[in-house]
Amino acid sequence: MAGTASRLHRSENRWALAFVAAPVIGYLLFTLYPVCFAVYASLTNWNGLGVMRFVGLDNYVKLLSDANFLESLYNTFFYMIGIPIGLGMSLALAVAMNRKIVGLTAFRTIYYVPVISSLAAIAILWQWAYNGDFGLVNQALALVGIDGPNWLASTVWAKPAIILMAIWKGLGYSMILYLAAIQSVPRSLYEAAQLDGANGWQRFRTITLPMVRPVTFFLVVTNVIGGAQIFTEINIMTPSGGPEYSTASAVWHIWRQAFRYQQMGYATAMAIVLGLLILIITLIQFSLNRRNSFAID
Amino acid sequence: MRKSRLTTGIVATLVLASTAACGSGSGTDDDGKLTFMFRGGEDEKAAYQEAIDRFSEETGVEVEVIVTDADQYATKLQAAISGNNVPDVFYIEQANLQSYVTSGVLLDITDHVEAAGVDLDNLWEYGVNSYRYDGTLQGTPDGALYGLPKDVGPFAMGYNKTMLEAEGIELPSPDEPYTWDEWLDVLKKVTKDTDGNNEVDQWGTGLNVQWNMQGFAWSNGADWTNEDRTEVTVDTPEMAEALQYIADLTTVDEVTPNAEQAATLDTYQRWMEGELAFFPVGPWDVSVYNELDFDYDLIPFPAGSTGEPATWVGSLGIGVSATTAMPEEAAELVTYLSADETAQQTLVDAGIQVPNLKDMAAEWAAEEGTSPANRQEFLDIVEDYGRPMPAAMTYGAAWYDEMWTNIQPVLDGQQTAEEYLAEVEPRMQALLDESNDQAEQAAAASAN
Repeated sequence: MAGTASRLHRSENRWALAFVAAPVIGYLLFTLYPVCFAVYASLTNWNGLGVMRFVGLDNYVKLLSDANFLESLYNTFFYMIGIPIGLGMSLALAVAMNRKIVGLTAFRTIYYVPVISSLAAIAILWQWAYNGDFGLVNQALALVGIDGPNWLASTVWAKPAIILMAIWKGLGYSMILYLAAIQSVPRSLYEAAQLDGANGWQRFRTITLPMVRPVTFFLVVTNVIGGAQIFTEINIMTPSGGPEYSTASAVWHIWRQAFRYQQMGYATAMAIVLGLLILIITLIQFSLNRRNSFAID
Repeated sequence: MRKSRLTTGIVATLVLASTAACGSGSGTDDDGKLTFMFRGGEDEKAAYQEAIDRFSEETGVEVEVIVTDADQYATKLQAAISGNNVPDVFYIEQANLQSYVTSGVLLDITDHVEAAGVDLDNLWEYGVNSYRYDGTLQGTPDGALYGLPKDVGPFAMGYNKTMLEAEGIELPSPDEPYTWDEWLDVLKKVTKDTDGNNEVDQWGTGLNVQWNMQGFAWSNGADWTNEDRTEVTVDTPEMAEALQYIADLTTVDEVTPNAEQAATLDTYQRWMEGELAFFPVGPWDVSVYNELDFDYDLIPFPAGSTGEPATWVGSLGIGVSATTAMPEEAAELVTYLSADETAQQTLVDAGIQVPNLKDMAAEWAAEEGTSPANRQEFLDIVEDYGRPMPAAMTYGAAWYDEMWTNIQPVLDGQQTAEEYLAEVEPRMQALLDESNDQAEQAAAASAN
């Protein structure tokens, strides 16, 4: 009896190991190995095709004085201005969508459509919308008597234009998550507050807002990580990096170095710096979150 | 039983994983088929497919064609190369030749071309030499051959004949280029409001500085680098004069659509609408321009202080992968597309390029009743006064692209050309130094 049990155990153990091995091997092969390779590549002078020559930290020294890289980093972080604006708007929308209004499903669908649309197609449509003379945006502005700029060709307005589009695109996704979070807030909390005489704004500020905090945190973290990697819309809407490099994002700059100028080693070094920056920012966010967290027992 | 099934499973997984990881290491699979990767618009795809079909018929070699859009080509090719899945035959840009050769991507096809009996003397020297590389300099006549020209792309000036005739302006001579002043006078004459609504709707020209400035600079005695391609020389009075001349056309002389008008409808579209009197024309434009509502013809670019016209001539090459399983057939396809008479005729008839073969080109230019009438201008550029783009034969073009990144204030009249060039030269120099270093290191590495 004992013998069969342990044989069964052994066999089960082996199967367990096999199942565990699948993701582990996948991780080693498709994540760890590429990362190690990238770290090595970033220390070489390599055109992506031929021999890699080890140059130590040369690439990292170089990127510190690469004005275009620094500009593109600045642009990338500038785009993140859109994140709090977008989150604020989607929370407001979620609150609105949580009420019983006519055409609720239609509204929810409308706001979610941009999320499931192809980013490339959207970027092209917005490129048209931003056209200086015929664009929808300026036509709409003209109705209220504003003479709109030539958005994507202006060093001042190109970045805001892209931010606006990104907010519009991301609104639906954040809204859905907020909506789910709001709906899972216990009714009893609101009822108790109401009995205590809290008005609508107080209920929102002291109950809804803290209760959706985990979602806000999740959205901020994922938006920052995603925002740091912004590329597609930049490449489509401003294929040359915008007027005087004013829309070029870090990833766009890296891509150009790697594939247009065949500086794969240097581009990899910049990618690693970008990756580290994202890591640091995310760690800071986690520690801030821990400090401010609370729990309802 | 159970154990063996488990072991089989693990082994199978490992085998799968390892093949996925280092799969297709051999590059091309030996399935008796060639793959040919190229890029182009609709007209080009159709013409090349026709030529390739005939090649397959004649030689019995099947060719699988991969076409991409122009702007995706470089990324896709690079991905194919780093994935060890290089197409047997593919387009190469002049500026990438050196790095492809030193990285062992391109096959030396000198012997194959010789064996195929191609009369290289009957091909444009510029086109062939663009793909020669002797290990240090590209474009030298005795370097090994790493490709043949797909075409040569002379860039001429065109004018709207219908408009100039309607305005009663003497048609420009195909032999005597305008001086800059003469040209400006003509531009001023044709720039006007034609429908009386107080808004200019017909202009002299509309130039894109990045693609149109070269001719003006060179004919004014300026150049981007010294002859060894080691020193950037854009901060000169001649270069400044050329750049200022172009900027002034818009901001001072107002003979081009202004920035806003050009943003609404770009000058290429406006030329096709018949709103511009002068606009540059390349052979690849001809099939489209021949469908327009007005007549046009070719002239040399207006000449600066040297009195000689100048312009660039581009080229795209066709090369063979160093890892191909069928080097002979691949080289045969290259020579067929580049130098076979029937193939060339197909491509020329499609209106997408000038003939690669000199004798065919001479006949082609002499044809009567063609549009444009002065086709000879294209050939003069190729054979006589055209030059390669400044970055065509350096190791990468980053240094050259730097010139255009921040040029907008000059074009808007907010900064003088002189100031800008003084400011940009050191940045370009740094990038050129870097690319020359890389070229040296890459050459040294491949020699080891």
